[in-house]
Amino acid sequence: MSLVSALIWLPFIGAIVTFVLGKRNEKLAFWSAYLTSGLLFVFALITFVGFSEPIVIETTWFSYGEIVVPFGFYIDSLALVMLLIATGLGFLDIHFSHDYMASDPHQPRYYAKVLFFIGGMIVLVSAKELTGAFVGWELMGLASYWLISFWHHQKAPADAGVSAFLFTKMGDIFLFAAMGLLFVAAGSFDFQTLNALATQGTIHPTLLYTVALFIFIAAIGKSGQFPLFPWLMRAMEGPTTVSALIHGATMVNSGIYIVARLFDFYVASQTLLIIAGVGALSAFIGASSALVQKEMKKILAYSTMSHLSLAFIGLGAGSLAMGMAHLTNHAIFKALLFLSAGAVIMSAAHTKDIFKLGGLERKMPLVALFMLVGAMSLSGIPPFSGFFSKDAIIASTIANTSTLIATFTFVAGLLSIAYITRLWVMLFLGTPRNETIYHKTTAPSNFWIALPLGIMAALTLLMGFYQEELKHFIDAKEAHEAHMGWLMPLLFVLMALLVGVVYLFYFRRADVRDKLAAQPLMKSIHQVLFNGYYIEKMIFWFAHTMVVQGIARAIFWFDRYVVDAFIDAVPKIAKSITDTLGKTHNVAVGYQSSVMLLGVVIVLFVLLLKGLV
Amino acid sequence: MIWLIFLPLLIAPLLYLIFGKTPMVKYFTLGYFVFLLLESFALLGTTPPSGYLELGSFLSVEAFDFVLDLRIDYLSAIMLILTSALLVLVTLSSWSQMSASYFALLLFFSGPIFGVFATTNLLWFFIFWELTLVPMYFLVGIWGGERRIYAAVKFFLYTHVASMLILLAFFILYKESGYFDITMIKESMIGSASLVWWLLFIGFAVKMPIFPFHTWLPDAHVQAPAPISVLLAGVLLKMGAYAMIRFAILLLPHQAQNFAIVMVVLGVITLVYAGFMALYETHLKKMIAYSSISHMGLVLIAIATLSFDGLGAALYEMIAHAFIISPLFLIAGILHHKTGSWQMHDMGGLMQKAPYLSAVFVIAGLGALGMPFTMGFIGEFTILISAIKSFGYPLALIALGSIIAASYMIWSYRRVIYGELSALVAQSDFRLGGVEFGALVIFALVIVILGIFPHLIFESINTAFAQFVGGAL
Repeated sequence: MSLVSALIWLPFIGAIVTFVLGKRNEKLAFWSAYLTSGLLFVFALITFVGFSEPIVIETTWFSYGEIVVPFGFYIDSLALVMLLIATGLGFLDIHFSHDYMASDPHQPRYYAKVLFFIGGMIVLVSAKELTGAFVGWELMGLASYWLISFWHHQKAPADAGVSAFLFTKMGDIFLFAAMGLLFVAAGSFDFQTLNALATQGTIHPTLLYTVALFIFIAAIGKSGQFPLFPWLMRAMEGPTTVSALIHGATMVNSGIYIVARLFDFYVASQTLLIIAGVGALSAFIGASSALVQKEMKKILAYSTMSHLSLAFIGLGAGSLAMGMAHLTNHAIFKALLFLSAGAVIMSAAHTKDIFKLGGLERKMPLVALFMLVGAMSLSGIPPFSGFFSKDAIIASTIANTSTLIATFTFVAGLLSIAYITRLWVMLFLGTPRNETIYHKTTAPSNFWIALPLGIMAALTLLMGFYQEELKHFIDAKEAHEAHMGWLMPLLFVLMALLVGVVYLFYFRRADVRDKLAAQPLMKSIHQVLFNGYYIEKMIFWFAHTMVVQGIARAIFWFDRYVVDAFIDAVPKIAKSITDTLGKTHNVAVGYQSSVMLLGVVIVLFVLLLKGLV
Repeated sequence: MIWLIFLPLLIAPLLYLIFGKTPMVKYFTLGYFVFLLLESFALLGTTPPSGYLELGSFLSVEAFDFVLDLRIDYLSAIMLILTSALLVLVTLSSWSQMSASYFALLLFFSGPIFGVFATTNLLWFFIFWELTLVPMYFLVGIWGGERRIYAAVKFFLYTHVASMLILLAFFILYKESGYFDITMIKESMIGSASLVWWLLFIGFAVKMPIFPFHTWLPDAHVQAPAPISVLLAGVLLKMGAYAMIRFAILLLPHQAQNFAIVMVVLGVITLVYAGFMALYETHLKKMIAYSSISHMGLVLIAIATLSFDGLGAALYEMIAHAFIISPLFLIAGILHHKTGSWQMHDMGGLMQKAPYLSAVFVIAGLGALGMPFTMGFIGEFTILISAIKSFGYPLALIALGSIIAASYMIWSYRRVIYGELSALVAQSDFRLGGVEFGALVIFALVIVILGIFPHLIFESINTAFAQFVGGAL
């Protein structure tokens, strides 16, 4: 029990200590954060080792009127998996930051915010009630805003932070509303109670359906699904370590987590098919857009979107364990991929454009190897972890959902191998495309950079052998595994084909690729994919033209020329009266006119009094 | 206790005449306000959980119940604490910039404002209510901006018209019940209760302010010196909300019940309307002023629920709003003072120049947009729940207020604090006096501490409205 409170408080206290110490001595910031996050991971590990049944802590936050607002903690296997991911990957991320952020002048701020970020995730996953989860949810949103805008003195990161905050907040207000609706309808904020009430059918079906969709909209915002995903790609403006944290350890997992937390609720609400549908669409958008991106971080960002969708599809297809297993696997290999990309970026003179790199395998063989492990896991090649969860999800969509959803999921799952092979080939194989950058490239440190990558690569491999245990741990109820005898061979054949195409286009015969890309039709498809189907432009257009320049401006006009103009007439009349009485315009004018009004009031008062007495 | 009202009125001019331009005046003022704060806490401590703490009756003119009855219940005691705390902080925020006469006027202001919250006699309430305007008028009119006269007159006239309605209402109350003392008036005595309710509602709605009676506020705020904006938003607006609860709700509960729907509709309109105004506004202080109006819309929604939890939420939000909006106004004032501009697009990169000042701005702004672990979240959250409970599921659209607030606040961060260093900010020196900065830090700390531990004040708030347990109003 005390361990849980330590898990909750430590990141926030650690953040303050880190900032204060760091202000005295830059170096101390890292060590303080390193120690804090290490302790957090140890605490999570101890909780995991000693885990037998859910840890429940009930506390009241405050009460007002007859309403009691609780802030309890509930750590079951689902929460524990998320805790291990957040603290473990968080720790490795901070380890990696030692070199990655070494030259940054604002390290105290950086480490304090990272700890705050991890703290938000811990609060979210260990909360017993929707209220506590919402607190963590919002704190994390705030931390991500701060970290994405970490280099706030530049335009692009500052803008990216705004869009991350507002896109996710757009979803959050639905969670906020859902919280109010659920409390009034069901009289509780507690996840387990809500699950039970929904299963029993105590909550009115229409309300249940609405609230489930509301919470899912919030999840869409946080987990970067269609249509609230553009912030994920913009978030690449932050430090790469932050991207790894957002895309691997914390933020984007929260949307899927909240749906998983309320899984029985969702089953009862009959919205699972909608979740799978949105997931399938997002998976396709993400995977296809990832194919044509130029920046390595953007490729990974679209890939995150696509793989989170797979986790959503797993939930939507009716299996809690399958969705969460893919989320877990994804968290690890995506953190690995991002940090590998970070290692390349920092070593190769801060180049993010893959068309300027190449042949780096000779400069940093270890990073190339570890990234390959991550890439293979992401593509779904056995025996790496991604294979087991991804292919199971594809199989279950064919068994449990519509053909359309299954097709989109299948294509999206298949495309993973294309974009990630393209990325890896472009980075590490062939000849350098830009000699200056290549010569400036130095091998990164083994201990601070390669070691965390190695640990994550080992985990990716290891997790492959423990998939059944993982699924069983997350959801002890027997997961209805869908078996498709013909699916796996088909996938492998197509995957091999795609690898061949990518190899040809990006390694052997770039001229064929360029010729193909010059076709007008291909060009426009390329444009659409490159811009993420122009969803961001559409949303910006709506927000700017319709809301700000439309509604807000109309209200502004109305306020100035109707409401205020009417009111202004009153003192003008008063002023003209005092003017006709021969007074000049000075400070006294206003005062005298008001005194006159006071006089009117008093006369009125006396008259009324006379009438009464 | 009567001297708490009249002593400042006498001492303020005397102090100014005797000590004139010396710092003695501000030291005395600060000392008195600190004492007032402690005294208010002491009053809260001695107030019985239900009913009034009798402080005596004075200046009795029995002929028409013109008696200065001083009675304090939990609601008034909480308002007194809030007011005196703000007075202390306002004094600190003006510490090294303002002259002796300014502090004398602040001291003068504290007399009638104490009376407003402490008396239960309608006539005296009205007198104090009006008296608060006199120092305010001068504070805005003398230390204000370029268009201060326009603003001061608009403010003065606007609230005067409202006051006439209130006075008329009080008078009808007296005519029909025979009392000015609200503890003696029962709603059943009033024949034309619905007329009285409307007069009171409009009168107080102007003060709060509620759409469509809000236009005086942005002008008054923009022209007022920053610490006076704090008084406007933190004390005068709260006076309106307090009076709304005390007279339009507690005194006339059945009428309030009848017209609750009016209140809730106007509350929602105010919330959204002012939010959009803030979104479109590029003038920093006006943006904050509209944000302030928007939050008072929330307060009105909470009041309209007429329930135990709703009124508690309203009172919490009033306190939250006072602490959140004050540092925003103060910082806007500092920015204007140093850069000479009000326009957000003239600024940018403040974080690079004045990180700690920016941090306070960020914390207060987070409060305004309802970030958890700030007071703003608790206020919004409690109001959301009580509103849905009282008025049904459609009221979930209150949540819309938070995305609007997030939009204008995050954009103001983007324009003012983040981004490239603008020329105007680069050439200005943002160093602040320790006392002024200390006041800002206190505001930020209160926002966070009472946001994490709201039960610290909810205990008192619950006691204030405990009489409505079970929703029996």
